[in-house]
Amino acid sequence: MDLVRHLRYFVVIAEELHFGNAAARLGMAQPPLSQRVKRLEDELGVRLFDRTSRQVRLTGAGRLLLPEARELVARAERIRELMARTVRGDTASLRAAVPPDLGASVLAALIARFRTGNPDVRLIPTEMGTSDQVDALLGGELDLGVLRHPVAASGLGFGPVLVQHPGVLLREEDELATLATVHLADLAGRELVLPPRALEPGLHDETLAGCRRHGFVPAEVRHAVHGQFTIGLVLAGTAVALGQRADVPGVVWRPLVGSPLAWRISTAWRGEPSEHVAGFADLTTRVLRDDAGMSDEGAPPRTWVAPRPATGFLS
Amino acid sequence: MKQLEQIFRTAGVTGWLHAVDIDTGREVGLGADEPVVLASVFKVPLLVAFYRQAERGLIDPAERVTVSPEGRPGGGTGVSAMLDEVTASLRDLAYLTISVSDNASADTLLARVGLGEVNATLADLGLPHTWVEHSCADLFTAMREDAGAADMAELSQMTTDPAVLSRLRVLDPARTSRSTCRDMTRLLGMIWRDEAAGPASCAAVRRLMGLQVWPHRLASGFPYDDVAVSGKTGTLPTVRNEVGVIEYPDGGRYAIAVFTRSIGTAQNQPRADAAIGTAARVAVDHLRSRFMGVGTI
Repeated sequence: MDLVRHLRYFVVIAEELHFGNAAARLGMAQPPLSQRVKRLEDELGVRLFDRTSRQVRLTGAGRLLLPEARELVARAERIRELMARTVRGDTASLRAAVPPDLGASVLAALIARFRTGNPDVRLIPTEMGTSDQVDALLGGELDLGVLRHPVAASGLGFGPVLVQHPGVLLREEDELATLATVHLADLAGRELVLPPRALEPGLHDETLAGCRRHGFVPAEVRHAVHGQFTIGLVLAGTAVALGQRADVPGVVWRPLVGSPLAWRISTAWRGEPSEHVAGFADLTTRVLRDDAGMSDEGAPPRTWVAPRPATGFLS
Repeated sequence: MKQLEQIFRTAGVTGWLHAVDIDTGREVGLGADEPVVLASVFKVPLLVAFYRQAERGLIDPAERVTVSPEGRPGGGTGVSAMLDEVTASLRDLAYLTISVSDNASADTLLARVGLGEVNATLADLGLPHTWVEHSCADLFTAMREDAGAADMAELSQMTTDPAVLSRLRVLDPARTSRSTCRDMTRLLGMIWRDEAAGPASCAAVRRLMGLQVWPHRLASGFPYDDVAVSGKTGTLPTVRNEVGVIEYPDGGRYAIAVFTRSIGTAQNQPRADAAIGTAARVAVDHLRSRFMGVGTI
């Protein structure tokens, strides 16, 4: 006999406690349903229901069987669903997007750590700006995004917001390159490279506002989507760019005094995240914290102690 | 204007200073090219020469040597102050040489490396104004001869006498171990950029300079937990020096050399010690500031 199918009939009758209603729910006639239950009782060697003319009740054995039967039926359904998705070719894949300036080593760490933890899930990474990510997430073309704040989009859920303080990328010959740290105001009069407003509306506006507030009014704002174009503009000496440390010949990176700018980033998904999406969101947050040196929003900056013998323990 | 001169004058000293950003070369100085008395700062070139010889296989830094109590040069720290025979590796004696300016350890290393080799290293590194004239023991002998003192105890009682001080060869840059502030910051820059020797050797020298115990000179100007100060002091009657590197958490690192001569002859010169830290801080702040400009401040 097909035990799983018979158990499914049993579960439905146990839920309805009415053979007619159960048969209707199962889309079959009542006599064959009664026959099948009888066969199950014979097979297991117990009575599962007490039937009177007025009501149907579970026996002690029936009550014992119910949770076990539910478990087995659910597992059988999961097996069917998984196999069906395999046939369709969309098994456990996860479509994730990251900002283009995330950094090669951070992206590599993210992918490597996800693969180690989820060898059976296929990760499909893409690079995408915040606006495109919002559209793709809401349109169901993307499972997880890593985007810049502020972003206004109803229907999206966000992971913890992390903060990154950009420094400035200067041409090696720039007079400011002789300084270890640069005041934002010292950039006054220079041109600034930013991602296009259409791609990163929140970051674009907040960065420009932050620059102006600290005395840096760019002579002109240039827009660049890709890192190489940005570096090209910096190398040509026509503009400076903001961002994380980059090792490019001819370009120097300097921190900004007092960290006047803060770029906020978080994971994002649509609706209730699935197990894989939630897991990957957690992992991404951890990688951004550990490998990209970002800190939790509002957290005090990490302090580092340079030990000195005269002020050390027991001295 | 003339802020550095003001700091030195207030402390009752004559000061020479050079500070340079190790990565950009931006600099500030006061008498940066004038000859100065190295005193124990000579232990930095000694250490570089020691590790360069080790790289060539001429010295095994882990070799254990025994320093007998006889004939140790004076000095109140480390092996110099100990009563009994000491057995330690050469590199551990190097640690004592730098961390507490131990003269007995320094002379043990110098006997292995050779004075000629230290000066050859300096020439090879392109530091023409730097010269190591004598060992610690020979320096003290010269002091006793010039002062007319029978022993170190007697010498200590004589070195506050201006007439005696004026006779001491070891206070004349022309006749003792000498350098310029600029030569010293160049040497430090080479150590911090792994150019003075191989990377492992330079790292060993940096480690030892970071383990120096004295908090009263360079380190006093940078009272911050996240700023690292590495250095080597030099002290003789009226002479207070320190050369070192200041490293900020944002990656900025600055080589600095401060040499002073006090006008008074007291052995204790806390204001001169503090002025070294204050002047260094002013110089480093200048290098980190937005205002451009090179030269005196």
